[in-house]
Amino acid sequence: MIEYRSEQLHKLFAPVFTSLSYCTTMAQHATHDTAPTGEIPKPNTAWIWKTFWIISAITALEFVIAYIMPASTFRNSIFIILTIFKAFFIVAEFMHLKHETKGLIWTILIPMSLLIWLLVALITEGSYIGEAVQNLVS
Amino acid sequence: MSTISTTQVISDSALDKPRTGTWDGGNEPFKASYGKLMMWFFLLSDAFTFAAFLTTYGLIRHRHGVYEGTAEAFKFSSNYWPIPEKVFDAFPGLHGMHLPLGFVALMTMILIFSSVTMVLAVEAGHRFDKKDVQKWLLWTILFGATFLSCQAWEWSHFIHGTEEGTLMNDGTVFHGANLAMNQYGPVLFADLFFFITGFHGTHVFSGVCLLIWAFIATTNGTFEKRGHYEMVEKIGLYWHFVDLVWVFVFTFFYLV
Repeated sequence: MIEYRSEQLHKLFAPVFTSLSYCTTMAQHATHDTAPTGEIPKPNTAWIWKTFWIISAITALEFVIAYIMPASTFRNSIFIILTIFKAFFIVAEFMHLKHETKGLIWTILIPMSLLIWLLVALITEGSYIGEAVQNLVS
Repeated sequence: MSTISTTQVISDSALDKPRTGTWDGGNEPFKASYGKLMMWFFLLSDAFTFAAFLTTYGLIRHRHGVYEGTAEAFKFSSNYWPIPEKVFDAFPGLHGMHLPLGFVALMTMILIFSSVTMVLAVEAGHRFDKKDVQKWLLWTILFGATFLSCQAWEWSHFIHGTEEGTLMNDGTVFHGANLAMNQYGPVLFADLFFFITGFHGTHVFSGVCLLIWAFIATTNGTFEKRGHYEMVEKIGLYWHFVDLVWVFVFTFFYLV
């Protein structure tokens, strides 16, 4: 009886499952765990070191800019763009998010992108509070 | 005998293995295991907390005045927000030298490097290379502990302040910082320094504890018996997140 009902439900939602499984096949898992057989495979670390050099180079560039360029809004925007680049490499490669399913990638990215709005809104608010306090004093 | 029974008979062999039906929990959403998915969701919520801290920093910084003038003529004052490279310019063992952001550069590289050794440990786990997992976990613990020690020095220096100190509005000279007073700028500057770097440091500390536990479990062969090193992978996700947060703290607190 129960078996019969779940089969019916399965038929009802068949299109949903098909699209879900389509999403999941989008993931390219580079890591296939193999049960221990005694023989240990050779390490595959080239991509790790490549990512490390990219992140280090961006950090070095940030310091060069901090030393040679006078502070300005332009300089700050360069810093923020470089930070987002670094964050991309850490999340995509080290945290492996690039190789997860599209569903998981969007689940993480959409809420995070809403925070940009929060940041911009409250920084603007901060400037207004500062102005209001200045006007109160003078 | 073709009547439909209303009671479900579960055979013994069905009880032995986990149920795999679509509505029985047999599905793996996003092709990620339960633990990894929950770690991602936890990290998302943790990212909200850190984002709240950094947003607060942005709001409070813009609420205060901006220093106008050359960087050379900069003096600490509670009338404007300090320039970070004038506050964080000390290096342990090099007393009295002006090395803007030198120490924080070292700390950043230590944490990035610890992230690399962490990925190497996860990679070794996929290959069931117990010795390599142990080696890279130990390196990660070492870098994590080094980062914490650096932060302890940074805090100590920040709290004790410079020799000259700063002439406060009430006519006294104040050295260093606490939650109510500081020589570098507005009161909230030091408060935010303590809260943001402190909250991050607590995360690093928790990470080091988890790594030590994972090292012991690896040594005991727990993960090998379990058939996978997923726990190392999950702790790795957390560790990279801590590194990621530092990348943002570094930009917004020290560079901008």
